[in-house]
Amino acid sequence: MAGARYVITSILVSLAMTGAGPVRAQTPAKLPVVATFSILADFARNVGSDRINVAALVGPDGDTHVYQPKPADAKELGAARLIVVNGLGLEGWIDRLIKASGTKASVIVATKGINPQQMREEGRIGPDPHAWQSIANAKIYVANIRDGLIAADPAGEAAYRANAENYLGKLDTLEAEVKREITKIPPGRRQIITTHDAFGYFGTAYGFRFIAPEGVSTETEASARDVAKIIRQIKARKIPAVFLENVTDPRLVRSIAAESGAAVGGTLFSDALSPPDGPASTYIDMMRNNIRELAAALAN
Amino acid sequence: MDIAIRFRDLTLGYDRHPAVHHLDGEVESGALLAVCGPNGAGKSTLLKGIAGTLAPLAGSIALPRLKSRDIAYLPQAADIDKSFPINVFDVVAMGLWKRCGPFGGISRSETAKIRAAIAAVGLEGFEARAIATLSGGQLQRMLFARLLVQDAAVILLDEPFTAIDSKTVADLISVVSAWHEEQRTVLAVLHDLDLVREHFPQTLLLAREEIAKGKTDAVLTRENLLKARSMIEAFDRQAQACARAA
Amino acid sequence: MHDLLIAPFAEFAFMRRALAGSIALAIAGPPLGVFLILRRMALTGDAMAHAILPGAALGYLAAGLSLGPMTLGGLAAGLIVAVGSGVVARTTVLREDASLAAFYLISLALGVTIVSLRGSNIDLLHVLFGSVLALDDATLILLAMIASLTLAALAALYRPLVLETVDASFLASVSKSGGPVQIIFLALVVLNLVGGFHALGTLLAVGMMMLPAASARLITEDMTAMIGLAAAQGILAGYAGLIVSFHAGLPSGPLIILMAGLLYLLALVFGPAGGLLRRLKPGRHLEA
Repeated sequence: MAGARYVITSILVSLAMTGAGPVRAQTPAKLPVVATFSILADFARNVGSDRINVAALVGPDGDTHVYQPKPADAKELGAARLIVVNGLGLEGWIDRLIKASGTKASVIVATKGINPQQMREEGRIGPDPHAWQSIANAKIYVANIRDGLIAADPAGEAAYRANAENYLGKLDTLEAEVKREITKIPPGRRQIITTHDAFGYFGTAYGFRFIAPEGVSTETEASARDVAKIIRQIKARKIPAVFLENVTDPRLVRSIAAESGAAVGGTLFSDALSPPDGPASTYIDMMRNNIRELAAALAN
Repeated sequence: MDIAIRFRDLTLGYDRHPAVHHLDGEVESGALLAVCGPNGAGKSTLLKGIAGTLAPLAGSIALPRLKSRDIAYLPQAADIDKSFPINVFDVVAMGLWKRCGPFGGISRSETAKIRAAIAAVGLEGFEARAIATLSGGQLQRMLFARLLVQDAAVILLDEPFTAIDSKTVADLISVVSAWHEEQRTVLAVLHDLDLVREHFPQTLLLAREEIAKGKTDAVLTRENLLKARSMIEAFDRQAQACARAA
Repeated sequence: MHDLLIAPFAEFAFMRRALAGSIALAIAGPPLGVFLILRRMALTGDAMAHAILPGAALGYLAAGLSLGPMTLGGLAAGLIVAVGSGVVARTTVLREDASLAAFYLISLALGVTIVSLRGSNIDLLHVLFGSVLALDDATLILLAMIASLTLAALAALYRPLVLETVDASFLASVSKSGGPVQIIFLALVVLNLVGGFHALGTLLAVGMMMLPAASARLITEDMTAMIGLAAAQGILAGYAGLIVSFHAGLPSGPLIILMAGLLYLLALVFGPAGGLLRRLKPGRHLEA
């Protein structure tokens, strides 16, 4: 008897609460947006500003390639109205998660309209997903996100356009800065070793060679042959510096640097932003940090 | 007469249930004592208590003027790992542990002692054999050889002849007799009453409590045996705390 | 020939280091593995490797992928599990296998939780799969020290360990060292696993411990020969794994273990002390 009473009471209470729903929806709520990782979240924040609430599934210093979703993530997706994904195969896990969450949100692929570079991964050629490393591409990301926000929240169109314009201007400034810094590096020294093969677009855009000892994702393990090849390569081409990156094992890089005589440069950020107190907590800071570290190690 | 072992109101058991109940008495030095009784009478338990592997629930066991190295104990079912790659010589050499410890080397004279022990149990030539290849009887002989090497003052044997062929039994009984002649104290748990009557001058008939102790013929009478057999074998789950003799 | 077999090590320091590290692991691990096998504790190695995880994870949380804290953390966790399960086995109705299983499962779950707290779970992979190609001087020294300590301890404890394995109740009746010896032995296993995870990762470290030992067991019945053979096979596997990894471009760590596995399979078929061929075709029986 007590059980039945409990059930009836809960049903009545729930009905009452749904009745109260429309009453509360008068005040404008922030648009819930979920981005797959920190860089996309940063773009979204810059375009959406205080009209939206952005959450990133893979936070600072995280690795989007091998991320394992948690139940809270499905919940977050369920509550979202707009989802921003990178596409180009970066998030192998996102489609299932979206399906599992049952969300009604619209999905924006930030790389839409970008002509992808190819890269070699595990012996096969496939699209390189790290398109944001070229600022020109970043501008396309921003445009796509702006359009997605406008579609999900037409009332904010003016704000979104203004914010995006503003931010695109900042990206232009950034690009000029990057190009200036690069001229300080002699052309013969525009090559480095780094553990992550995520800088393809940066290299193409700004005339750099990034050579990695391991494959694209951190799942592949190094073979002795690869390591030997890198060391030979460094010695042969006199590559001046080895850079660490914030998601993989630095011990391997230090070992290669020690043997080949290259300098160990600072930390480059490729796949994720740093935590708020770090040097790369926004996209712009990230790019600035990277070019400065490169110049510092290679310029002299 | 020297006393080798003294029991004072001894109770030994498992999980508060007594297997040996209020045992009182003495075993003289040099005695050759058989311990008999029906199943579950507490015979193995008694030996474990004397060997020191089981602490008394009440009462005490005293071994005056004897140190732990003076006791050698052969448990009922040797849980020796037969598949271990070790040979007969090395197992028998283990008997020297009390003297050599974990590091001591084995001197020439001790090597000779080991070989003599192996020969005494009829396993001459088996020194290099892996124990995995031994039959039940041969394994038991080997364990007796180890006891010989231990050279202990008190020797406890728990059912040493169960499932052993008669030739081995005969050979090992003569080893036991030799111990008796050397004035060692030997206690053996045995089921074969004919064997006991023939080779053991003294017997303790145990059925949780002492039924009789003394000269074998006086102890192993029909009355006594009947009395022993009527003992309850299983632990009494409803048993209260024992009120007898504190 | 020289190019194939020697040149990689002559030319590259990282290859020499990797070989040195593998040799250090192979000298100490497989002898312990022999005892693990003889004591029917072969899966203990794997269980202990998982048990180490929360300790290493805590060390990693505290100080990143660094030698000191992760080693100490792993050691502490492993020892707690080893001693704890030993005590539980001796004082309760649970035997070693059940008590160890309980402890290591708790430990593993704790480890995964701790690492996921940090947000990034990628480094979990590197905790599990270390890299033999990234051994720096400090790690090499650690491995060498662990190897020396293990060999010294095994030499000292050889007799009681053998006795404890063959006839534990006899040892208990003549000495109180049974318990301590068992615990020291487990501690050595933990120590070598912790060292192994820096080079090969915990899972592969167990492979280096067990495979050469299992193989040696199939080849000889003599304890000393078994231990020597196990170490030799470990060294061979390390060398072969590195060479093939170098020429074929395959990951080094797993390849070393695969080589050890290959040696094991050969022993399984051809081993004189119990291999399949011996069983199927024993040859003419002897006179006596």
